[in-house]
Amino acid sequence: MAAKNSTPELILQISEVTAGYGAGLILKGVNLDVARGEIICLIGPNGAGKSTVLKTVSGLLRPRSGAVMFRGENISALTSRERLSRGVVHVPQDRSLFPAMTVWENVAMGAFILSDQALLRRRLAEVAELFPIVAKRRSASAGSLSGGEQKQVELARSLMLDPALILLDEPSIGLDPRARSSVFASISKLAEDGRTVLLVEQNARSGLAVAHRAAVLEAGVVALTGTGQELLNDPEVARLYLGASARGPAETLAKSV
Amino acid sequence: MHALIQAIILGILTGGVYALMASGQTLIFGIMKVVNLAQGALVVLGAYLTYTLFTTLGIDPFVSILITTPLLFLVGIGLQWALLRPLHGEDVAQLSLLVTFAIALAIEGALSFAYGATLTNVQPTYANYSWTVFGYQISLVRFVAFLLSIVMLGVLYFILQRTKFGRSVRATVQNPMSAQLLGVNANRVSALGFGLGAATAAAAGSVFGMLNSFNPGSHYDLISRLLTIVVLGGLGSIGGSVVAALIMGVASSLVSALASPIWSDFTFFIVLLLVLLLRPRGLFGAKTRGAL
Repeated sequence: MAAKNSTPELILQISEVTAGYGAGLILKGVNLDVARGEIICLIGPNGAGKSTVLKTVSGLLRPRSGAVMFRGENISALTSRERLSRGVVHVPQDRSLFPAMTVWENVAMGAFILSDQALLRRRLAEVAELFPIVAKRRSASAGSLSGGEQKQVELARSLMLDPALILLDEPSIGLDPRARSSVFASISKLAEDGRTVLLVEQNARSGLAVAHRAAVLEAGVVALTGTGQELLNDPEVARLYLGASARGPAETLAKSV
Repeated sequence: MHALIQAIILGILTGGVYALMASGQTLIFGIMKVVNLAQGALVVLGAYLTYTLFTTLGIDPFVSILITTPLLFLVGIGLQWALLRPLHGEDVAQLSLLVTFAIALAIEGALSFAYGATLTNVQPTYANYSWTVFGYQISLVRFVAFLLSIVMLGVLYFILQRTKFGRSVRATVQNPMSAQLLGVNANRVSALGFGLGAATAAAAGSVFGMLNSFNPGSHYDLISRLLTIVVLGGLGSIGGSVVAALIMGVASSLVSALASPIWSDFTFFIVLLLVLLLRPRGLFGAKTRGAL
């Protein structure tokens, strides 16, 4: 909301991006502008290319054509590491912690590219304050935590470089309702601190509720954008995606099997 | 009873050296999911380098480790960079198997050309020296070789647990995509990891040359033993490979003492078969990912 008051500074501009694996194209000309400080949620059916959008922004996948601009710079050809150092952090969908490392080591890995040890320790302390689990379970191996706890540690780790843009891929997937609401609460908090969050969410209702703005991705293009509230009230969106979110748990189960 | 305990002592001392070779092999698997069929050939290469340094320059085989280990570390990096790094796509696992086998054959060929196929070994003056402790014979070379392997494994453990490079290796083993997203350079980790694997082969090779007669074809026998050890230990688990190496060292030594040395090699194949049938992920293997 805060971002709406002043003229919004665009932090991320995705223009006419096409991308895919092998011969096939998944993204067929995606356009999306993201303003600084907003939470923007991508919804859409399975296979529409939501995760692929995040990958083209973080560098896991290079666009075939089009441009990804971050703070006015074309980052399309940069490596993940170079994008990371510019302030783009990607938290992937599947469990992304290092299961045999401790919680503390995992969070420290979030600042792997930092060489300033004093800064690393300071960030660790800050992050541990934001996410109490980090200090509480610091010596536990990450693999021994519950799904909800792991997600908190993943979010904590994503803050270690003090990023400007955080890409979150289905942060609520596989979590019980309580863990899910605490994840969404954490996401709101991220944006309050001036960070921008690009969120992909299968659970459209929760995603739209937390987001300032949202975009519907269909068959590799952005079909519709609006505020989270507008899309929540859109009858077409409601019919296609919010109704579908009632099937959410079953889909989640099918996915994790 | 005396023969039994003597065989166990011998087995533990021999197993320590195998542990060093196998730890490098399982490390390479953990990082790159590459079964390095050239590990045995790298050990034999290390043994020949030691042999040459000893016979031409008179450098003590244990001292030559200070030369062979860094040298093969660089060779390992070069091999990964030139031959494994270019592999891409879904068939990487199979292709890398062929590539590492090709490396093994190339090393065997080069060594045959340079040294011929005659069995040789490295015989410093103290080669046959041994102590008698409580009536049990302990060979000096075997004892020092064992200690040295323990020290090298300690160095490897320190590198993996306490250095930034080590953290990047463990991260890559446990979750390659996350490691990349956090800025770990997978190519660099793979190259240095392959280098470390080759370095353990070099150190073990220097010792191997004193403990065994060898020729360029010795790597076939070595690699089949190493594969048994890393599979028994659980592919990707360094601790597992150390335990498995000690178990196999003792087992083959016992079989050799109680039955016949002819059956000693056979022990490895029986164990490999049993592990694959009964517990394919080995003693300490992770269900899905390496637990380094």
